[in-house]
Amino acid sequence: MLVSGLSAILFVMGLWGAFTRKNAIIVLMCLELMLNAANLQFVAAGVYHGDTAGWIYTVFAIAIAAAEVAIGLAILLSVFNQHETIRLDDINLLRN
Amino acid sequence: MGSSYDEVKNALDVPSEFVFIILLPMLAFPLILYLGMKFNGQKFWKENLKEGGLVALPVMAASLVLSLVLIRRFINETSVSDTSTVFSWANFAWFTEGATTEISLYSLNFGLYVDHVTVMLLFVASFLCLLINIFSIGYMNTDEVNDNKNHRFYAEFVLFCSGMLGMVLSDSFLWLFIFWELMGLCSYLLIGFYYDKPSAAYAAKKAFLTTRVGDVFLVIGLAMLWNLFQPYASGGDALAFATVFDHSNLQMLADAGKQGALQLALGFMFIGAVGKSAQFPLHVWLPDAMEGPTPVSALIHAATMVNAGLYLVARMFPIFGDSAMMGEFSDLAFIIALVGGITACMAALIAFVQMDLKKVLAYSTMSQLAYIFTGLGAALWLANSLDWGEYPNKGIVVVAFGAALFHLFNHAMAKGMLFMASGSVIHEMHHAHHDLHHHHHDDDHHDDHGDDHHDDHFDAQSMANMGGLASRLPITATAMFVGSASIIGIPLIGGFWSKEGIIANTWRVAVEHDPRFYIPAFLVLITAGMTGFYMSRMWFMTFAGKPKTEVAEKVHEQTPWIPIPLLVLIPMSLAGIVFASLKSTYFLGYKGYKLGEDGLLEGFLYEMDHIFVNPGTNYLLVLTYIAIFLSMVLGPCAAMALHGGRLDEGQKAKPWMQWAVTLSGKLNDKYSFAGWAEKMSESSFGEALRQRLYFDKYYDMAMMKIVAGFSNLSASFDKNVVDGFAIKTIIEKGGQDSSRIIRSITTGSARDYIMMVAVGTLAIAILLWGVN
Repeated sequence: MLVSGLSAILFVMGLWGAFTRKNAIIVLMCLELMLNAANLQFVAAGVYHGDTAGWIYTVFAIAIAAAEVAIGLAILLSVFNQHETIRLDDINLLRN
Repeated sequence: MGSSYDEVKNALDVPSEFVFIILLPMLAFPLILYLGMKFNGQKFWKENLKEGGLVALPVMAASLVLSLVLIRRFINETSVSDTSTVFSWANFAWFTEGATTEISLYSLNFGLYVDHVTVMLLFVASFLCLLINIFSIGYMNTDEVNDNKNHRFYAEFVLFCSGMLGMVLSDSFLWLFIFWELMGLCSYLLIGFYYDKPSAAYAAKKAFLTTRVGDVFLVIGLAMLWNLFQPYASGGDALAFATVFDHSNLQMLADAGKQGALQLALGFMFIGAVGKSAQFPLHVWLPDAMEGPTPVSALIHAATMVNAGLYLVARMFPIFGDSAMMGEFSDLAFIIALVGGITACMAALIAFVQMDLKKVLAYSTMSQLAYIFTGLGAALWLANSLDWGEYPNKGIVVVAFGAALFHLFNHAMAKGMLFMASGSVIHEMHHAHHDLHHHHHDDDHHDDHGDDHHDDHFDAQSMANMGGLASRLPITATAMFVGSASIIGIPLIGGFWSKEGIIANTWRVAVEHDPRFYIPAFLVLITAGMTGFYMSRMWFMTFAGKPKTEVAEKVHEQTPWIPIPLLVLIPMSLAGIVFASLKSTYFLGYKGYKLGEDGLLEGFLYEMDHIFVNPGTNYLLVLTYIAIFLSMVLGPCAAMALHGGRLDEGQKAKPWMQWAVTLSGKLNDKYSFAGWAEKMSESSFGEALRQRLYFDKYYDMAMMKIVAGFSNLSASFDKNVVDGFAIKTIIEKGGQDSSRIIRSITTGSARDYIMMVAVGTLAIAILLWGVN
């Protein structure tokens, strides 16, 4: 229960950060935070049910998260190269 | 007692190669079109192949030869005995569904059905189609208006012929209907051959739509018939003649109390026949159909299409004649006779005032077809209500049915000839007019602009421009003379034998059985006299007297090919006496009778005795002489007095016509009821006849009211509901509004999207939680 609560707090912190922060890197970090909250939840549920499946999911999710971060950073790098900024409010090409 | 057609099942095989009677012209259709498109304008195509005319000719000749072989075989294999098989067929499986199972669910076969009715119509159709083909080569190819268009004519012509031959030979009402519609299409195309002329396009449309009205009822009738016979068809075609004419099937229907439904189905099919054969009240298309080239008129009005309706009614004979249905269909038989009687009289009246040569013939066709319908109605009544398995009833039914069919034969031969002769007159009038016109033109202006002689005001079809042609067109005049005599029913010539039979049998039903038949009986008797008048009027206006225009003086027979069919058909019309002596009425009405089995002389004496001396009862004898007096004396003499006259000085017709011309001159001098005739013509009745009794006017008005009203209604529905509401409000405005809403969501800000994802996920979570 305690771990589940921690995971929920972590998730809300991540969500909050993703909503409010303007720097794309920090938004990316917040996304990672939410992902890891989910991982924590998996492990907690696995322990609670005595089932190893939750742990295995976690291992997969960490690997995928690593790949995601790599891609996300690459995108941000090329966005910076194009626009000289990574402020999310300034990046709205599709709208205009 | 055994008055049924159930011996139908003992089928004799017709070798399937006879299907080429239908297939050859059908295959020639694309061939001629293709060759025409490829070689139009080239010399050998125009000169040597006559733009397809000489491609069609051998095909039609082959069809005729095959038909004659089939007819010969049929006549020879018909044995004298009553119960023998006179019916035969060949079968081609078209497609079969579920054939692997023991009982197929449904199969559509095409078979050839050959019996006495088939044989007669097969001969009429293939023989006249060939002659009309020969005539067309003369008529169509010598008129430069048709240059480079004739391949279309010949292609449609052969397709039409294949439709007629297929309809006559098919073994099921379904295939009959398919070929029937093929003919309908071709008649539309042929009547509208000069489609750039508005009147021709209008006439084609009118013919097509009017017959379509009848065809809708025919389809309803066929659907009802299908429904009735489906349980007994055992997976086959429920409309096959073998199923429909089967005595045990009819007996089962009768036991189930389905006689009323069957009568209704046959009645609907009869309406289809009314449309096709141009009977009251669906007759309005036929006079306008004269807009087509004259060979088309001959084809549609004499040889083929108008006979299709008669053939359909004649095909119902086994159902009417079956003992299971005895006495059930007398109402329908009366209606058939009544429609015939009304049309006969009405068409003859309208023919009195027509000035257009071809329109007189068109109304005459309607009137004569109506005779056949009356005869068929009487025959069907007798077959349905009498127990005709035994003598003497059998003889009565057979002769009534045979007389109607024999009249079909005589009329087709005579009317085919009359139309071709009228075509000859019109063609030579055109030529004479063209020569005359062209000549003046050269003298006055010396310019080479060849006029299109269809554009000027001279009407080569109007009898008001003719007169005195008897000496100038000897072959044509003779053909018209013989043809008119046959249609009028001058004793011993073609149509006389059959027309007497029809009148006598209608009266027989009226006097001895059903007093309702007095109405058609009186009408056809009066019409006999009227026929005498209008046919003679036509002949004398055209061929006797002095030429009424300069053009008529210059006319002479010059076009090749045209006289050939006339020379063939003159003896055919005169040969009515031979056919009568062979007892054709018995052959046509009676399954077991062998043509000419009694010997020619005995047959002749029997027929003579039967008509002039001892027709069975006294009233029939009186009737015969009344009819002869009306048609031979009263009608023609009145016409001679009104329209006759001597030829010019020095002009002399052939001796077999000269006496009539001289007689007409004498009568005209002595009693020309000129003042009276003028008064009649100026009276409101004369005007009504000229306006064709206002049928077209009122049909147009009704159509304007009903169709235009309905069209306006659907137009306003389209404008207000579909365009106004559905398109404007729902699609246009809804589309704009929804896109505006969606645009406002699409902010382009990543934060908003994250928010949407989060809210969406939350919503899904709540939903899932709610479901669980």
